[in-house]
Amino acid sequence: MRRSGAAASKKKSDSITSSATDLFRSASSKATTKEMDRIDHLFNQYANSSSNLIDPEGIEELCSNLDVPHTDIRILMLAWKMKSEKQGYFTQEEWRRGLKALRADTLSKLKKSLPELEKEVRRQLNFADFYAYAFRYCLTEEKQKSIDIETICQLLEIVMGSTFRPQVDYFVDYLKIQNDYKVINMDQWMGFYRFCNEISFPEMTEYNPELAWPLVLDNFVEWIREKQA
Amino acid sequence: MSNQKKRNFQIEAFKHRVVVDPKYADKTWQILDRAIHQIYNQDASGLSFEELYRNAYNMVLHKFGDKLYTGFIATMTAHLKDKSKLIEAAQGGSFLEELNKKWNEHNKALEMIRDILMYMDRTYIESTKKPHVHPMGLSLWRDNVVHSPKIHARLLNTLLDLVHKERTGEVIDRGLVRNVTKMFMDLGESVYRDDFEKPFLDASSEFYKVESMEFIEACDCGDYLKKAEKRLTEEIDRVGHYLDGKSEDKITSVVEKEMIANHMQRLVHMENSGLVTMLLNDKYEDLGRMYNLFRRVTSGLATVRDVMTSHLREMGKQLVTDPEKSKDPVEFVQRLLDERDKYDKIISTAFGNDKTFQNASNSSFEYFINLNARSPEFISLFVDDKLRKGLKGIADADVEVVLDKVMMLFRYLQEKDVFEKYYKQHLAKRLLSGKTVSDDAEKSLIVKLKTECGYQFTSKLEGMFTDMKTSEDTMRGFYGSHPELSEGPTLIVQVLTTGSWPTQPAVPCNLPAEVSVLCEKFRSYYLGTHTGRRLSWQTNMGTADIKAIFGKGQKHELNVSTFQMCVLMLFNNSDRLSYKEIEQATEIPAPDLKRCLQSLACVKGKNVIKKEPMSKDIGEEDLFSVNDKFTSKFYKVKIGTVVAQKETEPEKQETRQRVEEDRKPQIEAAIVRIMKSRKILDHNNIIAEVTKQLQPRFLANPTEIKKRIESLIERDFLERDNTDRKLYRYLA
Repeated sequence: MRRSGAAASKKKSDSITSSATDLFRSASSKATTKEMDRIDHLFNQYANSSSNLIDPEGIEELCSNLDVPHTDIRILMLAWKMKSEKQGYFTQEEWRRGLKALRADTLSKLKKSLPELEKEVRRQLNFADFYAYAFRYCLTEEKQKSIDIETICQLLEIVMGSTFRPQVDYFVDYLKIQNDYKVINMDQWMGFYRFCNEISFPEMTEYNPELAWPLVLDNFVEWIREKQA
Repeated sequence: MSNQKKRNFQIEAFKHRVVVDPKYADKTWQILDRAIHQIYNQDASGLSFEELYRNAYNMVLHKFGDKLYTGFIATMTAHLKDKSKLIEAAQGGSFLEELNKKWNEHNKALEMIRDILMYMDRTYIESTKKPHVHPMGLSLWRDNVVHSPKIHARLLNTLLDLVHKERTGEVIDRGLVRNVTKMFMDLGESVYRDDFEKPFLDASSEFYKVESMEFIEACDCGDYLKKAEKRLTEEIDRVGHYLDGKSEDKITSVVEKEMIANHMQRLVHMENSGLVTMLLNDKYEDLGRMYNLFRRVTSGLATVRDVMTSHLREMGKQLVTDPEKSKDPVEFVQRLLDERDKYDKIISTAFGNDKTFQNASNSSFEYFINLNARSPEFISLFVDDKLRKGLKGIADADVEVVLDKVMMLFRYLQEKDVFEKYYKQHLAKRLLSGKTVSDDAEKSLIVKLKTECGYQFTSKLEGMFTDMKTSEDTMRGFYGSHPELSEGPTLIVQVLTTGSWPTQPAVPCNLPAEVSVLCEKFRSYYLGTHTGRRLSWQTNMGTADIKAIFGKGQKHELNVSTFQMCVLMLFNNSDRLSYKEIEQATEIPAPDLKRCLQSLACVKGKNVIKKEPMSKDIGEEDLFSVNDKFTSKFYKVKIGTVVAQKETEPEKQETRQRVEEDRKPQIEAAIVRIMKSRKILDHNNIIAEVTKQLQPRFLANPTEIKKRIESLIERDFLERDNTDRKLYRYLA
């Protein structure tokens, strides 16, 4: 409090000598600063004091406070909004970024912003970006480029489960029984997204394996066709 | 004064005093009319040409050209009508003769009349644009005689009747018919065409339609074609004798259509005598005839070619997929070569080396040879057999012929890289066992492969030859610098450059002491002159000649593999050894050891070792001892050579797998090469280009190409375009 108070007063003294616009700016910046304070305050409630990061434990607590299961897609969306880099951790900068964008400086405001956030993410243009983000978010090691099948299945469930239920179910089944691939890379991941958006299911009449679809999808489609026969 | 007036000067024509006496015209005409009669009555000798000419001349001059002309027409018409009646009255055969006679007479008369009326022809007729005398005379003949109702049809039928008679074997008066057809031609091309040719063609068409139906029911294909050919020749002959030259193409078209085109399918597919039968039985003459006849009609050759192609493909398919035939690879390939020779001969003898047939044959061979996945292996085994023994004693030129034929088959292979792998293996075995019949033949084949496939294909093979040569030099150097070793066992080492030779894992094996000492000496000698290299003994590829004395004093020289030598040498120190003891002492891996012991103990005529129990298989509890009762007719006994054989199933799988593995980097290299130069390319085009680039070596699988592309994307060589997912972009 003290800290911020000093900052505020400093700002105030700076603005005495400026014009009307500066007055306005100072007024809004005052409000902004107050907002940032609250955001920071909220951050500290969940952050680990020694690392100054919100760690997985903190996130779990946040989730329970928001009344959202921590495997819910909305947490992932929140991470996206924050442009969070490391799975399971939120830095202060990321926290500030996210909550500022959501205009949420209290827990209740944050909770209320979630439906709006969901709508925003689900917009076609954003969703592709979000979808790719979800993949990158799961890459934990430095040079890692692929994600193991089991994690992929879980991720698919979270990210696409509500919008493309049958495709996800079938694909998850297939991934579990096939032996060609032990991991999935970004190219294949994005391929699945295109698949869900462009190909009718389960007819899949538009699908042509001679085109540039990733091989894993060619095999997937063939597997389904065999089952249908 | 008169000079001042301008007057038009006129020069007036000098005029005769013309006597315009109508009676004069009549009188003059009478003279001429009478003359024409006389001419027609063959009674012209008393006439004076000069007088008649003058009369005609005067008539025209005195403006009576009109009268002269019309008179001429009327008189001639009347005469022709009379003649016509005479012709009509003729009976039977003399009808044509009469017509011909009268025609000749008319022509002669016409000529004379024309000469007489020459002046009119040149002046009056010129200015009035009426038909000239001669053409008029012909038209009058045509209208009054040829087209006269009683003559017209009769004439045509008579002619057609004669043609029919001749076709059925009778002799006719060709000269007479010739004159008549010539008459038609003289009367005008359209007269010939409409009054004779067209009906002639129609009648011919009918005739051949009927005849072809009769023949095809009664004859087999070969005979039918003979008959058709005969008829064709006849018709051409007929035209030459008494028809107009332009009719030749038309009548031959009729025959071709009725006799060949209409029955093409039936002929080609005729059971027991059609094309397939002819091909199977090498009926060159019949095939040649069929080719010559069918090429005259549209899609005739295409029909023959298609049937030949499908027969060849079917037969080839049966040949290569018959398990019986694939038991012996050398037989298999020999059959292919025989078929190739057969069709070569057929196409060159009967089909005039027609390029389209050659192509059809080639594509068929390519099709069915590749139906059997073992073709590359078998062709290599065939070559191996030839180079080991088949070419022994054969002249150089003939060797070349055999090798060229092999190259022909090689060209048909889609999986040339599989052939390369097997060829390398077989060549290695040949070189190492010293079993090649002719170095020159080997080198010659390599040159041919190089010409066909490029340097890369053969560089490793050439390396193998170099190694053999270098090893000889190395051995000389070794024994040269170690003269003391000439007393002990002789070691011959072949130093193989890894990479040129087929990769073999080094198998552990304990060499007998005498041998390993020598080997070590060699190793230090070699490494002394080639520092930085590593040598590893390939004990599974060597051979040894050992002298053995058996229980009753029989002496033999045994030619064995290195493994067998290790086992046999053990018996110098023990009379009996168990399997386990042998295994321990030699350290040879179990499967190889078992095979080795089997060849020493279980093969009739080569059982230098006795086994207890006497079963066929090697058990871990078995006991072994020297077979003192061993006998052989020969002093030198060969036990176990490393001969190239048809691979067993598991070996085949392994080779196939290695080939697939080798293909992956080749596909990737092709993709990278293409993308590097094109920078951006769409999916279908990459597949097409890569397939094309790799085609000289193998047929690339689009799915495999796709896999490689994805792998390259993962390794950041390529990326997909963001907007158009069909495009790939090269990442520098």
